[in-house]
Amino acid sequence: MLRYLARRLAQAAIIVAFVAAISFLLIHLAPGDPFTAVMDNPNVSESVRQTLRAQYGFDKPLPEQFARYVGSLARGDLGWSFSHDRPVLDVLATVLPNTLLLMGVALVGSFSLGILIALIQVARRGSATDHALSGVTLLLFSMPDFWFAILALLAFTYWFPIFPVGGAVDPVMHEYMGLGARIGDRLHHLTLPALTLAVLAAGAVARFQRAALLDVLPADYIRTARLKGLTEREILRRHALRNALLPTISLIGLSFPALLTGAFFIEKIFAWPGMGLAVVNAIGTRDYPLVVGGVIIGSIMVTLGSLLADILYAWADPRLRGR
Amino acid sequence: MPGQIQDSAVASIPRPRESAFAIGLRRILRTPSSRVALVILATIILVGLLAPFIAPYDPAAQPDIVGLKSLAPSLAHPFGTDPYSRDVLSRVIYGARLSLAIGLLATLVSLTLGVAYGAIAGYAGGVADAVMMRVLDAFLAIPRLLLLLGILVGGPQLSIGALILFLGLTGWFGLSRIVRGQVLALKHAEFVTAAQALGASRRRILVRHLLPNLVSPIVVAATVGVAHVIVLEAGLSYLGIGVPQPLASWGNIIYDGADQGADLWWMSLFPGLFMVLTVMTLNILGEALRDAYDRR
Repeated sequence: MLRYLARRLAQAAIIVAFVAAISFLLIHLAPGDPFTAVMDNPNVSESVRQTLRAQYGFDKPLPEQFARYVGSLARGDLGWSFSHDRPVLDVLATVLPNTLLLMGVALVGSFSLGILIALIQVARRGSATDHALSGVTLLLFSMPDFWFAILALLAFTYWFPIFPVGGAVDPVMHEYMGLGARIGDRLHHLTLPALTLAVLAAGAVARFQRAALLDVLPADYIRTARLKGLTEREILRRHALRNALLPTISLIGLSFPALLTGAFFIEKIFAWPGMGLAVVNAIGTRDYPLVVGGVIIGSIMVTLGSLLADILYAWADPRLRGR
Repeated sequence: MPGQIQDSAVASIPRPRESAFAIGLRRILRTPSSRVALVILATIILVGLLAPFIAPYDPAAQPDIVGLKSLAPSLAHPFGTDPYSRDVLSRVIYGARLSLAIGLLATLVSLTLGVAYGAIAGYAGGVADAVMMRVLDAFLAIPRLLLLLGILVGGPQLSIGALILFLGLTGWFGLSRIVRGQVLALKHAEFVTAAQALGASRRRILVRHLLPNLVSPIVVAATVGVAHVIVLEAGLSYLGIGVPQPLASWGNIIYDGADQGADLWWMSLFPGLFMVLTVMTLNILGEALRDAYDRR
């Protein structure tokens, strides 16, 4: 187990190093340098641009630039955000907790909902309910995140104004609320974005879990359980689900990229003040260092997510636990 | 299914030639859901192809930016008009053409790269394979949308061609891994050994003996891949860095109405419906194809 952990950690470190190299390539393959895009402004003279380039080391040979870049990344320096006039890491660190909260709630929600749907389907496999739910999960799986989020926003903040239009807290009143009201205010703002993301992600989970459940049903131990006289419901819950949940753990790791991408759109549409909103706004202001910083942090999140899922898997599978 | 020889391990046995496409098509036509999906998809493709003949208005024309702007759906404009007085139905029809074309072309780029990279890694094996796979791991760790943001935000507004290229360049990592696995599994199959014994070159073995056995995973990946690209392009256009104005793509139209979402609901609803329908039919067909090829 320890050796596996060490190997898996080393793998993750290599991936992060490659990601750094890729992000460096991104910066340098982009036409011009970061200053052509940022300083399209004709009022900025060429000499100022030159000075900036020299300051940031963009006039040095590529290998030297790469060494400097990796060095500053290692120190946690992701560059300077032009639009916020603050270090990129600062900007992202302030909003990251909101993204983690949104993704965390959505992750738990999507897996609970997805597994529940799959259980209902498998309990009534072949029935009309099963087929109808298959249609629903396929629809969710095919749904572009941003379109679904727009519809959710229109439906539940304009047509049926149950939830606030956006943000993480009430912009005016939150300051004056007591502790209980503050928590309530946060939950009220969190519910719709988190639920939207969870429902979107639940489609893939349900499809995966249904297939995993159907995979284990022909196993000998299921037949044994049936011969013991267990009800179909008990068999599903105590024997089939337990074994079919194992592959689902690795799905947690695999679902991170989609969850993060979904969070980007949902944060934009619900004005949820997280990393996604910061990066999407940075597109508009052409704040390139902030966008690349978001790419790096997002990739590290995905890598850590799949690392965690693998560790969880190794811990949950008795066949791997001993190693 | 007895009598139907499809297993790759016996691919060297002479059999009546039927292309993998024909097999796939024949098998998926047996299930009603994929028949419906095929009809819907064919209709949308036809709409895209015949856009100039079907669209009631010029998709880029702004006939009366004051009098005809932001009209709700009516008989004259079934999907309404946008803030520039353009007819949304015509834009959705032309959007079908552009979104499908981008999906198809970008997927072609991805397929070429993914198959080449995966086949080479799998066939080479050893250190080359290990290094190539680690690079792939890193690319797979970067969510595709973020990678595209990193590429697209730095430069000026891209042309459609460049957009297609970048969509293709960021879409081959997953397929590459599948292809590599298949090549690795088939590398020591008897028909490969036989070809080697007959003196076939490595390239010939790869192209003539291994690749034909990869057609089914490639067809499946292509079908689902087109769906991915359509969603991705729409997402990028929605963020304002995808298809440039005044061209119409489904994501683009939604972007045009985004800041007045509640008042211009028709600008989000209709293009989105077309998009979901297309993506869903592609996913149904992809899944049906997977089942069709999996059945031994």
